Parts: sequence; C-alpha cells; structure tokens
Amino acid sequence: MLYVAYGLFIVTLVLVSYVLGAFDLLPYDPQQINMELMMAPPASEGHVFGTDFMGRDIQSRLIMGIQAYFLPGLLAISISLTGGIILGVLSGYWGGRIETVITYLNNLVDSFPRLVLILLVIAAFKPDIYYIMVVMGITGVPTVATAIANKIRFLIQKSFIEAAIALGLRTQTIILKHILWYNCRALLIIQATLGMGEAILLETSLSYLGFGVQEPVPSWGNMVQSGANYFLQGNFWPSTAPALAILLTILGFNLLGDGLNNILEDRRGK
Amino acid sequence: MSAIPLKAMILTLLKELGLAFLLLMGVSFVVFIILYAAPGDQFSVLLEGQLPTAEARAGIREALGVATSWYGQYFSWLMSVLGGNFGTSIRTGLPVAGELLNVSLNTLYLTLGSMAVTLFVAVPIALYTSVRGHSVVIGWPLTMLGYVVSALPVFWLAYIAIYISIHSFDFFPLASMSRSAEGNNWLYTFIPVLVLGLGSGTISEVIRNLREEMSRVMNEDYVRTARAKGASVWKHAFKEGLLIPVTEIIASKIPFILGGAVIVEQVFNWPGMGRMAWQAAQDRDFPVIMGIALVAATFVRMGSLLQRMVCTAVNPQSRD
Repeated sequence: MLYVAYGLFIVTLVLVSYVLGAFDLLPYDPQQINMELMMAPPASEGHVFGTDFMGRDIQSRLIMGIQAYFLPGLLAISISLTGGIILGVLSGYWGGRIETVITYLNNLVDSFPRLVLILLVIAAFKPDIYYIMVVMGITGVPTVATAIANKIRFLIQKSFIEAAIALGLRTQTIILKHILWYNCRALLIIQATLGMGEAILLETSLSYLGFGVQEPVPSWGNMVQSGANYFLQGNFWPSTAPALAILLTILGFNLLGDGLNNILEDRRGK
Repeated sequence: MSAIPLKAMILTLLKELGLAFLLLMGVSFVVFIILYAAPGDQFSVLLEGQLPTAEARAGIREALGVATSWYGQYFSWLMSVLGGNFGTSIRTGLPVAGELLNVSLNTLYLTLGSMAVTLFVAVPIALYTSVRGHSVVIGWPLTMLGYVVSALPVFWLAYIAIYISIHSFDFFPLASMSRSAEGNNWLYTFIPVLVLGLGSGTISEVIRNLREEMSRVMNEDYVRTARAKGASVWKHAFKEGLLIPVTEIIASKIPFILGGAVIVEQVFNWPGMGRMAWQAAQDRDFPVIMGIALVAATFVRMGSLLQRMVCTAVNPQSRD
C-alpha cells in the first residue's frame, strides 16, 4: 500500500530526526544567528532548506522542532491507550452499570472543546507542554475506550471466548492474551498513530499561540508564527517550511493509521 | 410525508435536557476542580507585586465574601452561575457575563458560518461521488485532498488567505468587526469564516461520512422500489442519506470547530470567545476562562440536543 509506505517513511524520518536532535547532530546550531545570510532560499549553498529572517538554518530548526512534540506526544498516547484499555475492557467485557458511567464520562469529555480545556489548564497551572499532553491524553481516553468496548462486544459473540471460559481459563488470561493481544493490538497501533497526529497538531497550534516552547527554542508552531510578518511581505519560506513539515508529518501519521486499518479490514474480509 | 411526531419529540426534548443538565453539572465540577487544584488561588493575582502576607490574603477573602471549604466555594460559585452571574474579570474588573454574551455571539456567528462553508463544499462532493459510484479517477484525488485538508495547519491557511486578500483585493482583513462598515465590510467577516470552514479539518470527515451513508441508503430496498416505480429517489433518500448524517456529524464536530475558532480568532483579531480565552489564559484570568468553558460546553450540548430532535422528528422510533 502506498499510504502505508509513505506513512512509514515519515515516521522513520521523524524518529531519525528526533535521535539526531537529541544528540545534537545537526548541520548548524539551530539558534545561531547569521545576519549576513538572512532569508536564504531553499537549496542555497550550505543550507539545504535555506535560512530564516535571522539567518538561522531552517533545516536544523525543523529537526530540533521535533523535540517539542515527540516525547510529550508519546506521553499523551500512552495515557490515552492505558486509560482507554482499562475503561474499554470494563465497559465491553462486563457492561452493566459500569457502561453507563463510562458513557457519561465519554459525553463529559466530549462536551469540552479540547483547546478551551487546555487553555483553562494553562491558566490554572502553567503553560508546560507535559501538563498539556496529560490533558490531551485524558481527553483521548473515550475514543480508545469506545473502540475497544465495541471490539470486545463483537468478539464476545464469537465462540472462542465462550470456549476459553468453558475451558476454565482465567479471566485475566482471556482478556490480556486472547482479547487484547491477539485481537486488539492492530486497533491500538492505529489509535496510537492517529493520536500522534493529533498531538502534533495540538502542540504546533499551542506553540503558534505562544504557549509551550518559546522563541528562540524552535518548535514548528512558533516558527510559523515568527515568520508570519515576513510571509505577508512576500517572503513565504520561513513560515511555509515549518507549515509544510506539520502538514506532511500529520499526513504521514494519519495515512499510516488509515492504511493499516484498510489492510487489516481487507484481510479479515477474505 | 407524515406529520411531525409531537409526543416523541417532547419526550426526547425532556430526556436530552435532563442529560444536558447532568453533563453541564459535570462540566462545571471539572472546571471548578481544575482551578481548585491550581497552585495559589485566584486572589494571589490581585496581590501580585504586594506583600503576600497571610493577613492580606485573609482580608481579601473576607472582603470578597469567599467561603473557605471547597464544596462551599463550589456551591456558592455554582449558584451565582445559575443566576447568570459569572463573576468579574480579574484583569478588567468588569462583569464576565455581559462581555461573554457579546463575544459568544461573535463566535456563534463564526462557527455557524464556517459550518455552512464546510457543508457547501462537502455535500456536493459527497453526493456526486456516492451517486456516480466510486470512480477511481475522481475518488482517489478527492480522498487524498481530504487527507491533506485535515492535516493542514489552519493558521498557515489563514496567512495565505490574508496574503491573497491584501495583494489581490487590496484590503487588510485583520480589523474584522471592530471597524464599522466601509464598503468591503462583508469581506472582513467572510475571510475568517471561509478559512475556518475549509481549515478546521472537518470537511474530509463530512465527505467520507456522507458518502458512506448515501451509498448505503442508495442500495436500500425502498430506494430501489422508488426507482422502479418512477418516484423521486431523492425524496426517499434525503432523510436517511443526507439529513441525519449531516446533523450527526456537524453536532459531533462542534468541539473541533470551536477549538479551531480559537486559532482563527487569534489570527484575524476576531473579538470572540476563542480570543478571549487566549487572553484569559495569558493573564490567568480565572472567572473569564471558567465562563468561556461553560458557555462552550453549553454550545456543544445544545448542538447534540438539536441533533437528537432532528433524528426523532424524522424517525420517532429511533433511540440510541
């Protein structure tokens, strides 16, 4: 599948860039100002992606910008998945009153626009990306929980669960091994890739709005923002490069998730 | 067409109002707990730059008549909110409620307009592709376009729109609504609405969802019967294939559109709730942002209530 190939390419690129950034293996110092080489266009000598309005190397800044969302995004995903698995299993396997409570919680989380809730938390605590991602992780729980619960309700109608119960397997073995590991891991991988896409969108939006990572430390959102005035004067590149990075990366994660989903559904159909 | 099922609708209305009430109570509780757990309290903002002695704090608390226990604070706050009093802004000292009413109307205008834009683009595409079948030539680029649009950062789209309007139409769209009408006034509001409508990431989902539903309905027996006897297929497919999915997806996307509005309002200087929320987050202006969260949640619940009403009106037997 073309989707999955593109998605895997982007995910690999992000991973490699993250490691490069973490070990400071960059072509230039991302905060190095060079007043003699401002607004260099892409593919100019020594600067593959050109330089911004202060002569800083855009390629280095793009690579460094991944630091702003990568680990926080992983945190958000792991919270969503952990919470979603617990609530989803409770609701799907046992149902009953727990299900009502979970439906209420789902509706409650869905009642807040996520960005407004995050601005509330920023006002209450501090504009720290890890706080923000905890909130994002919690608000992602209902989606995962609903997906898992639906899947379990579908699986329970099949005879293998009944057979496992009849054979006297322990409930935790059935849930952990036969339901979650054999039948839900694809779903969880898909939710994780989609969650990463959302985390990137959220982090870049917030750093665009001026919360989270602050200049001169680069993040894709504040790079778009700081290049905005030059954009309106016709110097598109300093804003457009990070915007394209956001676009292509989120696209990669979404295509990977949906592509995997399609492949798995096809296989099941056959 | 049958008459509108009044009894079923009243029942749904009551049930949904009850649910909305329960959820809004939950929302208010969550909002309160977040702020209660926050380090320091809202009064420390008032005391900034002064000597924060315990006496000064107690004095302020007493002067403002604040209860000391958390449930006491919650109930007194909840009661005043229910009475329409959202407190006063810490930054401006003005009552929150009045200002909130103004800005929420502006935001409502922006979100409703952008929904109209979304539907105006998405519905024809969805109908065309579902009725014509999944032709590869049109289907693939459309799907791809959907993915691209939903990954597009809305702030960058906004800059493109601003650039085009400056250089092609020779006007600057950032003074929206604050300046009175000068010829191009409708453009001031139209460009933010257009950007949010195209860039909030809902278009692709509306298209996908509608296309699936419409294709499903088109293969139903009753549509085939209608087609066979020469009756209008459109009339039979409209409710199930278009009306219900459209209201469903729009209602479920209200939180996303409101979130996108925060950014679009910031870029275009649009005096709405999103910009107010941004300002309040900068200033740690608790009463304002609490009010905004409550109003936004009310918008979301009202949207979902309307959606259930439409569903019941179309099909009184439907329940979830």
